[in-house]
Amino acid sequence: MSLFAVSDLTVTARLGKGNETVFAPVLRGVSLTLDRGMVLGIVGESGAGKSMLGRAIADQLPAGFAIASGRMDFARRNILALTPATRRAMLGRDIAFIPQDPIAALNPVRTIFSQLREHFAQLGLPRHQHRARAIEALAEVQLPDPADLLGCFPHQLSGGMCQRVLIAMAFASRPRLIVADEPTAALDAPVQARILELMAALQRRAGTAVLFLTRDLRLATGICDRLAVLYAGAVVEEGGAASVLARPLHPYTRALELASPSPDMRRGLMVLPDHMPGLAALATANGCRFAPRCPVRSAGCAEREIPLIGDDRRVACQYPERTSRIVPSPPPPPFRASAGEVLLQVDGLARRFRVGGLFRRREMSALEDASFTLREGEFLGVVGASGSGKSTLARLIVGLDRPTAGRITLAGADVTRGDAAARQIRRANLQMVFADPASALNPRRRIGSIITQALEAAHRPAVEREAVAAELMRAMGLDSELVARLPGQLSGGQRQRVSIARALAARPRLLVADEIVAGFDVAIQAQLLALLARLRASGIALIFISHDLAVVRHLCDRVVVMQAGRIVEAGETERVFTRPQADYTRELLAAAPPDIGPPAPTLLAIPPPSG
Amino acid sequence: MTRFLRPRLVIGTLLVVTVLLVAIFAPLVSPFDPAHQDLQATLVPAAWQHGGRLAHLLGTDMLGRDVLSRLIYGARPAMLVAVTAAAGAALVGSLLALAAGYLGGWVDGVIGCALDVWMSVPPVILALIVMAGLGAGLFNVVLAIVLGDWARLCRVLRAEVQAVAHRDHVAAARLLGFSHLRTALLDVLPAILPLLAVLFTFEMGIAVVVEAVLSFVGFGVGAGQIAWGQMIADGRLAVFEAPWNLLAPVIAIFAVAAGCNLVGDGLRRAFGRGRPCA
Repeated sequence: MSLFAVSDLTVTARLGKGNETVFAPVLRGVSLTLDRGMVLGIVGESGAGKSMLGRAIADQLPAGFAIASGRMDFARRNILALTPATRRAMLGRDIAFIPQDPIAALNPVRTIFSQLREHFAQLGLPRHQHRARAIEALAEVQLPDPADLLGCFPHQLSGGMCQRVLIAMAFASRPRLIVADEPTAALDAPVQARILELMAALQRRAGTAVLFLTRDLRLATGICDRLAVLYAGAVVEEGGAASVLARPLHPYTRALELASPSPDMRRGLMVLPDHMPGLAALATANGCRFAPRCPVRSAGCAEREIPLIGDDRRVACQYPERTSRIVPSPPPPPFRASAGEVLLQVDGLARRFRVGGLFRRREMSALEDASFTLREGEFLGVVGASGSGKSTLARLIVGLDRPTAGRITLAGADVTRGDAAARQIRRANLQMVFADPASALNPRRRIGSIITQALEAAHRPAVEREAVAAELMRAMGLDSELVARLPGQLSGGQRQRVSIARALAARPRLLVADEIVAGFDVAIQAQLLALLARLRASGIALIFISHDLAVVRHLCDRVVVMQAGRIVEAGETERVFTRPQADYTRELLAAAPPDIGPPAPTLLAIPPPSG
Repeated sequence: MTRFLRPRLVIGTLLVVTVLLVAIFAPLVSPFDPAHQDLQATLVPAAWQHGGRLAHLLGTDMLGRDVLSRLIYGARPAMLVAVTAAAGAALVGSLLALAAGYLGGWVDGVIGCALDVWMSVPPVILALIVMAGLGAGLFNVVLAIVLGDWARLCRVLRAEVQAVAHRDHVAAARLLGFSHLRTALLDVLPAILPLLAVLFTFEMGIAVVVEAVLSFVGFGVGAGQIAWGQMIADGRLAVFEAPWNLLAPVIAIFAVAAGCNLVGDGLRRAFGRGRPCA
């Protein structure tokens, strides 16, 4: 008998009003089972419905969403049939949750102890035991000096420490099931690895079952026993974690695998066209929801409903044997030897801030003694954890901030002092693409007008602007009808492409990109990376700032590794990744989730698709 | 558009627009010449009270002038002051807020310091000093209100400008070669317009009340002119014989101030906190 079973669960969202009301299934006939002590990974991109599953269990569906059919059994009781009070008592005690954003999940104005206490009180622990139990719980998640931490407020702790506190809370009641919704998405790679290790250790010791929701297939493989892949609200493939990855049966699983770059080797990325159907599209969709994007579809796929079939390995595809035909795209062209002229030279760059009041003033250093050169047409990766000074470096280079020491030479001219002449040189040579396109695009400007802002600043005629906008939108793969839309009407991936197009409209020789693919699903990320790779042909140079080693390895010729405001290692990408010199680089590389492995061997001799 | 169809916004707009229309078309809607004295019929009570007359719906004052007509003409200075004073305060406040929030540095320091000093002076006292120094008159009333209230608008707007100025699209505009002025006007100003609209309507309500206060103490509009504050001051003396001399202007001031606040509050809710309006 399984500990937790979801049977044929369908959750619908109500769209529209009055006569036009339609119900879109955000989860459709989902069935899963979870045994004691097992870790089940639910893998899916944003919008696939994985968070809805977590919310359905927690009885926290947003307004307009409702469970249409199905049941959820926990320890042989249908929890959907329980009275609200019984169910509430069960949540937090028998079923615990670990949230996505640890800092947002803790109350900022209360101490760690007061928040732990509240939880203990709910669990019915006698008051005099609270302190001892709190210290014990924090020690269990390997937080140093737990007694001192009790009096701290969340902002005094790092994100990783906050997540440990929440894990301590989740495990405090010795729950039988834990639902973890992307618990490490907001954390740096080394921290992420340690948190996952900790969760695994606690889980094994207590025999807790874990439902692990994530969008990272590679991460899920490392820690889960079984995997279920969600697409557009339905499970498309399920099976043992190792087996799913070694031999994906559904084309979507294979596409996910091939869309994320590998930290261990360079290979081509699979770029799926389009994106997952949204809520409105789900309301009317029929047949295989993946069919429109599937590289091996047949004419009938979009018409027939395809059930999830199989015993241990289940797949919802009519032609699973075709999946192995999907092969990675050819690897990107080899790195070029940097033979171009020096475009940018940075010498001993530093940025210090004065902090503190009138007395007790001290200096804080965001960047110390950074030096490197960048040649024409070269792609340079800058990697490091958050707070390592990557973004400070970018802001200094583009002139949004002034260095406190050092020198920046751009195209042969000293631009360290941000005077009018330096601004002129910068404008002629470099542009920046920002991390968050929602913030980088003026919400009141039309897309066409945003893309040609550079021409507007130079007072170019409207006819020329329209032509440039049309050309850049075509190059970025943006539909021409988007030209009159506002940024709020576009998807995140489309907005980021608008942001890149705007920078390119200024015809820069150097593009500074600050974390521009972070926070996107792998399929969107692959589209953006393919776009950046195409820019190589135009001879543009790129400074690519990222915390993701795999992405940097995929894209960049050379790489600079930063830690705590200093450059600890620099060199050719291949050399740094295969023979790292600095300890910190080795630590970063070790913390990255391991690769999925070599491309799956072809099991059946199937001739390549004709036509 | 449905987000603007909320009760408080509709009721508030109806109130304010009605008073505005009445003020504009005062000669057409008022039953009598507001200055016409009928000493045969002084202190007539309202029509529904004992001894009231149908011709004088709200009765007459001590000089036998029709209260309703005076009320209608009194809306003119009230609404004129409300609109121009709110516009003046919004203009001064938003320009200085843009300069302080967008440019930051020493500009922000100077303006911030000026705000602190300015806001430590009670606005009514400041207005009385201005009126005493410059004398009565509509223009001086407007000037007194602008001088007293720009700082409050400026402080709120400055915080909003600071938040917007840190968004990446402002940095992007600079990198693309826009001047500070064009960046401030194209990328910052549109984002603070919703808040400005809310503050503007609140300020209109305040201006109506301040104008009434100044007229009440005799510092408002010129001697021969009609204003609600003056009507209250006059009506006070005959509050028992003809209470509507006092009540009518009080209700009018209340209605306009409440209407402005309802509009402001409705707009604030319609725009949502910090959400840009397209």
